[in-house]
Amino acid sequence: MELLKENWIFAEVDLNKVNPITYQLITKMNQISNLPVTVVLIEGSNESLEDDIKEYGPDKIITIKNDQLAQGNDLEMTNALDTLIDKTGRPNSFVFAATVVGRSLAPRLQARLRTGLTADCLDLHFEDDDTLVQTKPSYGDNIMCEIVVPNHRPQMATVRSNVFEAKKFNNPSTKVINITNLKVVKDNQLTILSKPLPQESAESITEASRIVAIGRGDKTEENLTNAKRLADKLHAVIGVTRPLTDLDEFDINDQIGQSGQSVSPDILINLGISGAVQYTAGISNAKTIVSANTDKDAPIFKYSDYYYVGNAEEFSKALERALQ
Amino acid sequence: MKIVVGIKQVPETTNVKINEKTKNIDRRGISGVINQYDRHALEAAFDIKAKTGAEVIVMTMGPDDFVVSLQEALALGADSAILLSDRAFAGADTLATGYVLSEAIKKIGDVDLVLLGQQSVDADTGQMGPIVSEFLDMSQVTYASKLDVDGDTLRIKRYLETVEQDVIAKLPVLVTVTDQANEPKYVNVVEIAKSFEKSVITWHASDLNLDDDRVGQAGSPSVVRSISSPEAVAKDNHKLADNPQDAADELVRILKDKNILVEDK
Ligand SMILES: Cc1cc2nc3c(=O)[nH]c(=O)nc-3n(C[C@H](O)[C@H](O)[C@H](O)COP(=O)(O)OP(=O)(O)OC[C@H]3O[C@@H](n4cnc5c(N)ncnc54)[C@H](O)[C@@H]3O)c2cc1C
Ligand SMILES: Cc1cc2nc3c(=O)[nH]c(=O)nc-3n(C[C@H](O)[C@H](O)[C@H](O)COP(=O)(O)OP(=O)(O)OC[C@H]3O[C@@H](n4cnc5c(N)ncnc54)[C@H](O)[C@@H]3O)c2cc1C
Repeated sequence: MELLKENWIFAEVDLNKVNPITYQLITKMNQISNLPVTVVLIEGSNESLEDDIKEYGPDKIITIKNDQLAQGNDLEMTNALDTLIDKTGRPNSFVFAATVVGRSLAPRLQARLRTGLTADCLDLHFEDDDTLVQTKPSYGDNIMCEIVVPNHRPQMATVRSNVFEAKKFNNPSTKVINITNLKVVKDNQLTILSKPLPQESAESITEASRIVAIGRGDKTEENLTNAKRLADKLHAVIGVTRPLTDLDEFDINDQIGQSGQSVSPDILINLGISGAVQYTAGISNAKTIVSANTDKDAPIFKYSDYYYVGNAEEFSKALERALQ
Repeated sequence: MKIVVGIKQVPETTNVKINEKTKNIDRRGISGVINQYDRHALEAAFDIKAKTGAEVIVMTMGPDDFVVSLQEALALGADSAILLSDRAFAGADTLATGYVLSEAIKKIGDVDLVLLGQQSVDADTGQMGPIVSEFLDMSQVTYASKLDVDGDTLRIKRYLETVEQDVIAKLPVLVTVTDQANEPKYVNVVEIAKSFEKSVITWHASDLNLDDDRVGQAGSPSVVRSISSPEAVAKDNHKLADNPQDAADELVRILKDKNILVEDK
């Protein structure tokens, strides 16, 4: 089997939109790979998502335009990718998003190609130019493993969302190759009907992916109104520290911390919260933490990725404007 | 109808530590239980059995002490249980494990439905379903949140990032099951004891039609090079600008670059 000196990324498309993880993977691969970076995109015949992907500057985009395939049947997509690889040769590596789609398609292709696949990676780097070193968690994130696939190609991985940054990159030499005549073997066992998920309303803080949390330093009526407007703008849910559960409108379900709820949002914004251990016990799984506090030595800053020293109300109003 | 449910025995807690001497995962004092998602796969099988009279065969590949989990599955209502155990199977990655499972399913013959959990709670890969379907040449439906049987078709609901799917699947098919699909039942010790009347069948490598190069460590393309306990992730502690508006603008720019704030969400 011919080997192709390229690293491949599978573009994840959810209802005619490229999932941002795809851009994150392109930026990461561009940073770590000495070989050309190719994106493989499956889309409907009237779509041109390659234009969006181009902005992140891969070396090549292979687009397979096919309405049947775009419906997302794992077996059909496996057949298509296998046929493509048959023609081009096996890439050095092939990475996918660790989403339901990626985690269903990649292992099927892995079995077809009889190679190794590492699930749910948090980091990737190359050694000796082409060995992909994959770092993945196990035992519910309590253990980290480093996995390599020394003798098989492609080296496959699925990667979690939002562990890498996406950066637009102008690459004037990005080549787009359109494949319109790929033979598709239809899977007659399954009929798939897809519809967009309704956007959730009144989400609970334990499930929320964005939280604006309010503490005693941001407690006045007016500040609360501001914080709620900010939360609306961000599609975030409001959480509070324990002292605020004295107010009628908040109870233990809104309270974050040891005697309240543990939260795991992608982003948590703390307004006027000191950072007592009983509070921080509930936020260890928050991915990105932003805090505003007038006290430059507030303990919460130690737990924060970004912090603002000053009035929480002014900060939350400014943030609302910045999001216009 | 013949249903095979694959189960894995996993440590009771995922709160494991690395043994500093051996550099291996320290499992001392941690007992094994049925992988939580597999209880949902079993429950889905029993549901279908109740409606159609299907035969439920439960199967695991692993060391002999995995028999405990098979006994529990028998007590819960499985008709028979198969242990795939052989020293040659040791050190298998997902590819080699999936190969052995699929060969065992072929040996059973005429299987209409294979049910697995969405993933194990220890290795967490979720790869077994797609791998086994591929080796069996079956269609797959992963991450099923709801399953209903209707003659020789299944109606399945599953959720992607922003999409809800209704899938109508004709048998034979392989389905992996999430914890939203049902409420698994538990059994008491008496019923487990009674289930010892039903015996577990053991198949060794020689009982299956296997290619030696494709099992165990030899058949595993992936190599775990090292394992470690992660340090608590150190935070960036980036101080934003002094002026509130500058600080807010700076933050929004960073969050957009990092795709934490995606436009029009
Ligand atoms: C057994 C036990 C369990 C507990 N469980 C929980 C729990 O689950 N959750 C919880 O939250 N607490 C819990 N607590 C209480 C906890 O110890 C703290 O008292 C509480 O978290 C403090 O809340 P706070 O940060 O809002 O208030 P404070 O500690 O009073 O902090 C207010 C902060 O706001 C700042 N500030 C003041 N004015 C402004 C302004 N204009 N702009 C910006 N910043 C300003 C101040 O500098 C200060 O840092 C528990 C306590 C005990 C004993
Ligand atoms: C820390 C660690 C990390 C690992 N990482 C990887 C990796 O990234 N890539 C890789 O290829 N291998 C990996 N392995 C090896 C892998 O765990 C084994 O091959 C394992 O037996 C099957 O994979 P899984 O547990 O991820 O199962 P999953 O694919 O997550 O399990 C899905 C379902 O398959 C069924 N199932 C799983 N195992 C069995 C079984 N033994 N018998 C019957 N049914 C079963 C169950 O229904 C289960 O719910 C890792 C192992 C460890 C210990």
